[in-house]
Amino acid sequence: MSTTTIRIATSALLAVTAAAWLLLAPAAIAAETRNVLVLYSNNRVLPANIAADGGLRAALAGTPDAAVFSEFLDQPYFSGPAHEATVTRYLREKFAAAPPRAIVAGGDFALDFVLRHRAGLFPDAPVVHMAVSQSHLRSLPQLPADAVGVPLEFDFSGTIEQALRWHPNAQRLLVVTGASEQDRGWEARLRREVPLVASRVTVEYLAGLPTTTVLKRVIELGADSVVFTPGYFEDGEGRRTAPRDSVAAIAAASTAPVYAPAITFIGIGVVGGRSPSFEEIGRQAGLIVKELFAGNAPASLRLPEIVRSALRVDWRQIQRWGIDEMKIPADAVVLFKEPTLWQAYRGAVIGAVASILLLAALVGTLVFERNRRRVAELAVQGQRTLLAHASRLAVAGELTASIAHEINQPLGAILTNADAADMILRSGADRREDLLRILADIRRDDLRASDVIRKLRALLAKQEVERQPFDVNDAVNNVASLLRPEADRRRVTLDVRPAASGLSMVGDTIQIQQVLINLVLNAMDAVADVTDERRVITVSVEKAVDAIHISVRDRGPGIPTEHMPQLFDSFFSTKPHGMGIGLSIARTIVEAHGGRIWAETGPGNGAVFNIEIPPSGAPNHSVRTKR
Amino acid sequence: MSARPLVHVVDDDESLRTALLRLLDAAGFEARGYASTGDFLLRLPEDRTGCLVLDVRLPGPSGLELQAALQRQGVTLPIIFLTGHADVASSVRAMKAGAVDFLEKPVERDALLGAIQSALARDTLRRAAHDADQGLCARFAALSPRERQVFDQIVAGKLNKQIAAELGIGERTVKAQRAQLMLKLGADSAAELGRLAEQLRQASNNNTRPPVA
Repeated sequence: MSTTTIRIATSALLAVTAAAWLLLAPAAIAAETRNVLVLYSNNRVLPANIAADGGLRAALAGTPDAAVFSEFLDQPYFSGPAHEATVTRYLREKFAAAPPRAIVAGGDFALDFVLRHRAGLFPDAPVVHMAVSQSHLRSLPQLPADAVGVPLEFDFSGTIEQALRWHPNAQRLLVVTGASEQDRGWEARLRREVPLVASRVTVEYLAGLPTTTVLKRVIELGADSVVFTPGYFEDGEGRRTAPRDSVAAIAAASTAPVYAPAITFIGIGVVGGRSPSFEEIGRQAGLIVKELFAGNAPASLRLPEIVRSALRVDWRQIQRWGIDEMKIPADAVVLFKEPTLWQAYRGAVIGAVASILLLAALVGTLVFERNRRRVAELAVQGQRTLLAHASRLAVAGELTASIAHEINQPLGAILTNADAADMILRSGADRREDLLRILADIRRDDLRASDVIRKLRALLAKQEVERQPFDVNDAVNNVASLLRPEADRRRVTLDVRPAASGLSMVGDTIQIQQVLINLVLNAMDAVADVTDERRVITVSVEKAVDAIHISVRDRGPGIPTEHMPQLFDSFFSTKPHGMGIGLSIARTIVEAHGGRIWAETGPGNGAVFNIEIPPSGAPNHSVRTKR
Repeated sequence: MSARPLVHVVDDDESLRTALLRLLDAAGFEARGYASTGDFLLRLPEDRTGCLVLDVRLPGPSGLELQAALQRQGVTLPIIFLTGHADVASSVRAMKAGAVDFLEKPVERDALLGAIQSALARDTLRRAAHDADQGLCARFAALSPRERQVFDQIVAGKLNKQIAAELGIGERTVKAQRAQLMLKLGADSAAELGRLAEQLRQASNNNTRPPVA
């Protein structure tokens, strides 16, 4: 064949291939996907939303041409006509090329939004509502014919009834709700429903209050109370949170059993509740979309009345509150039943409550500005050690000035050394030995500074309560080295007298150190206005019969007799800005280790705080109580 | 008397003190370090131009207390304060009590060296002025009683004739005394005598004892 022929043939072949590709390929790629827009009221990481999303996608797994896209309104952080207009425009333009064939509205707020802006969005797409409550649906004017769904009902009444059945001796029911619009909706519903199921008990509503107030209230309850809460999105001070986090905090602080009506709350400290599964809710919505895509008209669908709910219960909590196992219905879902290393005394440790949010705000100076992230962790975890941890932060806050100084000193030396080295080098003289010495000093000072940070980290680290053997002398010495800069700053002498030989005990060394830090700081406050020779604080460790004895003695004005009985009570404080939790947490910790703590007015005035702990640190083997 | 100026550094943080001494040495100053107020006072150095770099927070008496103590003893070394925490009240007190400067740690090299220069200049001037005063007082003490009387009269503005009448001596004697005392005091006019008289008055008012170190 001639080259010309070849060339013509190749071009023709290319042209045909290109044409074929252009004509056929897009069609193959497009293959008619049907988009489903799922619009959630809140944010992406709400556990309920994640679960619902899973269920919905599972239901649509058998419909391969369905493509699910999730968007989030992030209520209550963002709201208002301007925001809604922006979102509407964004959605409309985003999906302009491929409008959704169905819109799923997740939650009351999302449904309202979709109905309100329907004309501006995709008026032809049927709307499926998901996790929208019965009461909210009732409050809307007639739904359009192509808006369908299975309503959600948190089973408030069912949960409360079950709780009261399990606690026949309860005298009081506390109902906690929040301040956002949605919270108020729940509050209104509860106020209607609760009297019908809780006539036997006194009902107390804590509605729209600051979190700190709520926590303070629940910590002083007793076994004759029961707490119910759906959680809240916003508290009385405008602090925004997720319901799960608020429930976790309440459960951590409460000395009475807590019940909550959502599956995502199981395992964070509530006993249980009747709840619909969000996965089930999502699945239900997915099935409706599937039916619609199969060509059925919305009005023709036969839908269940409400999403089924089941009783879900945390086995550990059943044990904790001594609930009669026989009273658990056969169809209840029991979780966390596998044996865990459950520490029986954990509840006792959390007996005292701190204003967590208030205390986190205390920490905000030089060094801590770099560690702000660590402070933010406080609000999220919902672990029981939160409270002891918050108390440690307060202590660290008091030490801030001396900590900053301890770090600034080596930094100053490093800078001056660097300046000196710079000048030496510029002078051109051969002073290698000097330069090497300078570098060695810089290295040493750097380590000095990082050592301070390391000690601080150890104090602030959030830890599960541990039971390990440790040396009491080491603990006392560590406390002394932590507090010595502060003592210097306040011109107080710290006189530490460890035991003659190593003294080992079993327990949580960080907690014991926390107690000692508290006592020593109190002692420093006590001698704040005293003359120089009396500004001595003595910390001694001795081995007593079958126990370890630690005492913190100061020569301040002493403790007035009338304050003695309340000294270790929660919120009792003689300081103008005192929270009054230091000593109560101290007592809780010491007693959790099977010991006792008491105060005396020492010889020649001043005060002595005494701690006696058995070496085994065991809660059952307590030292004789003297009150 | 004053050889090379000496910078005294008082700070209980050994690491920083060493670093500061190094820096001063590299900058061409002679420097000595002390770990505490007591250490400094015990080794109170000889009569020498210098200045003091002092940490506000020290074990035992604080930097500010040392400043007050030195003033009471008539030690006039200029003081530069270093502090690890900005404390407005302390810095105001220190400056009011005559400190040259009040610097925050970590110390800026140029700020420190500049302050030291000022301080040393201040001390040099003060010593020179004091030496001058001393010299004058010595020369004045060398006057005889009669010469002193004549001096007072001249300074009061009297003419030779009036002085002679006042003191009951001859005019020629007055002239001779006048020449003598001018020679002794190193003055060459009545106006200058007046200035010297003022200087003497200042010196005795200050009652400055010799600067120690």
